[in-house]
Amino acid sequence: MNNTFQAPTIEYGQLAPLLLVFGAAVVGVLIEAFAPRYLRKSFQVPLTFVSLLGAFALILVQVFVSGVPTAPAAMGAVAVDGPSLFIWGVILILAAVSVLLITDDDHFVPQAAAVPGSAEEDDALAEGAAHTEVYPLVLFAVGGMLLFAASNDLLMMFVALEVMSLPLYLLCGLARRRRLLSQEASVKYFLLGAFSSGFFLYGMALIYGFAGTVDLAGISRALGTVSGQDPLLLIGTALLGVGLLFKIGAAPFQAWKPDVYQGAPTPITALMASGTLVAAFGALLRVFWVALGNLDWDWRPVMWGVAILTMVLGAILAITQTDIKRMLAYSSIAHAGFLLVGVIATGDARQNADALSGILFYLLVYGITTVGAFAVVTVVRDAGGEAGHLSRWAGLGKRAPALAGVFAFFLLAFAGIPLTSGFFGKYAVFAAAATGGALPLVIVGVVSSAVAAFFYVRVIVLMFFSEPAADGPTIAVPSMGTAAVVTVAAAATVVLGVFPEPVLRLADQAASTLFIR
Amino acid sequence: MTTHYLVLSALLFSIGAVGVLVRRNAIVVFMCVELMLNACNLAFVTFARQHGNLDGQIIAFFVMVVAAAEVVVGLAIIVTIFRTRRSASVDDANLLKY
Amino acid sequence: MGGYFGSYALVVALFAIGVAVVAGALFLNRMLRPTRLTPDKLLTYECGVDPVGEGWAQSQVRYYVFTYLYVVFAVDAVFLFPWATVYAAPGFGMTTLVEMFLFLGFIALGIVYAWRKRVLAWT
Repeated sequence: MNNTFQAPTIEYGQLAPLLLVFGAAVVGVLIEAFAPRYLRKSFQVPLTFVSLLGAFALILVQVFVSGVPTAPAAMGAVAVDGPSLFIWGVILILAAVSVLLITDDDHFVPQAAAVPGSAEEDDALAEGAAHTEVYPLVLFAVGGMLLFAASNDLLMMFVALEVMSLPLYLLCGLARRRRLLSQEASVKYFLLGAFSSGFFLYGMALIYGFAGTVDLAGISRALGTVSGQDPLLLIGTALLGVGLLFKIGAAPFQAWKPDVYQGAPTPITALMASGTLVAAFGALLRVFWVALGNLDWDWRPVMWGVAILTMVLGAILAITQTDIKRMLAYSSIAHAGFLLVGVIATGDARQNADALSGILFYLLVYGITTVGAFAVVTVVRDAGGEAGHLSRWAGLGKRAPALAGVFAFFLLAFAGIPLTSGFFGKYAVFAAAATGGALPLVIVGVVSSAVAAFFYVRVIVLMFFSEPAADGPTIAVPSMGTAAVVTVAAAATVVLGVFPEPVLRLADQAASTLFIR
Repeated sequence: MTTHYLVLSALLFSIGAVGVLVRRNAIVVFMCVELMLNACNLAFVTFARQHGNLDGQIIAFFVMVVAAAEVVVGLAIIVTIFRTRRSASVDDANLLKY
Repeated sequence: MGGYFGSYALVVALFAIGVAVVAGALFLNRMLRPTRLTPDKLLTYECGVDPVGEGWAQSQVRYYVFTYLYVVFAVDAVFLFPWATVYAAPGFGMTTLVEMFLFLGFIALGIVYAWRKRVLAWT
């Protein structure tokens, strides 16, 4: 080893949003340790919001005052470029909105260690215990998401993947009602998540064996210089792809999604369905465009297959679902497929920028609508918690017209009806794909959108045109937080559907520089 | 001669992956996942030797730490579900379907 | 069996002889001795005390949370090893020392949390 050591330079300014979120999470742990129980929530909630919104403000400062950086930060480990900043902004907004849902205490178990149905559990309920650890856990998960989408080398990406996933595994098991389902979701998510990160890691090892580095730009360079090591590269790419596609829930790695979404506490489902998906797409794009961009002849056919399978499977299986959260999960799988169409639509720089801008816009609008839809799900309740079964939603339009109307509107946005934000999201991605030579994919996408529209409309018909059951679910009076989430999501869906121009332009600008290397 | 180590690592990884798919006890499934991670470590260290740089060895450290964190979170989850059901079989966790 | 692996042939042979001697002695013993089993002889031997319960006993894992803590913190110590080989080298200096203690401080936070949650107390 030579002793010429150069101190690493860390651009703290560029990493400030990340550091703020992680720092707040650490402070949150300290609050848990030292603050008296009755004060904890009143410390945790403001801390969480201040850090998330503060990080968002720091991003604005970065963009408008310092300008978008043109070189990776922290010795090439983190790339804070246009797409990263846009994705960070989206994740932070979605996280803040999801935290509004999380502040409703009654979604989470009072004491996770108490066995369901035991006397301990009753005691914990009676004395009003609560796991305020939820807030630091969410902050760690959000920090992991931010890092995952911006990591510029595979090691950083792996660490970020785990920082994002580990808190989510725990959060999934904390539902207050139907705890068996919740714990089961947690175990399934954990085992499958760990399995997939094993694949990610082995893929990373093989790529390291091929290129001698895990730096994304370095791998890209090695594609041109290293020869005779193709098996390592191709198998590595495939395994890496498995790990990443698992996280976005693309078929054939989608099996965890319905189970986990159904079992997890609904606010956490909202966070996973929006934030994790956004972060995972950021990472997927970075790996396949930056590191393996010159290998597109090899991965594109496989991606075609995966995208088609994901869209078709998501849309068709959603029809057969009888549980509202499972249905939304399959719809999320179908949307992941639509987004994959954009990932495939690569070409020259202009084409890439178009596709990227479409994906960014789609992620934003899909995320917001998703959080809104899950917020509505939390309000429709039965004796045992949320009324999951679709039959319980029959006639909701007559009992709670406003709520059912908003939900119907979200579903139409998922379906991509014009004048909702979903339309422009789909349009931007499919248009980029069509010019990128993926016309057959676009056709499959449009057909599966039509199939998907069928089951969205079916729910709407069920809500408005069938007789309400005599013992139908009660509509809980939404808390301030939940009401705010539904309002914000509905407003964003309308505004982005009628007047998407400014945000589209912002996405265009963010995408125009593409990913820095 | 680093090929032997790579073959060993591929074997370990495959044994782990098959174990995850065929075993029924959540703890054993989880141990198989750990086996996969350790197979990755072996591959990293071997490639580090092959390329003559230290990246792979440092990555192995990170993987060990992440794996330890994963062990703790995972065992905590498995213990919780075991206390509820008195069983750690993944076949018994079958409430969530269709 | 020549070359590199050939030099290990002696080790293998020695190992095989060792196994054969022990196994042979046990086998001869078994052949020559009379075997008359009684229930008393089949009992688990517990230092002359009458055995209580089954041979298969499950211990209560009261300490498992400590084990979790230990696993995480012991493994986090691997970062100390590469650090320890270089921190005294020229060019590293005080910053490196401080950084490591920052890292250890973050880890200590976990212990503080566990302590405040009374995980470290015997229940």
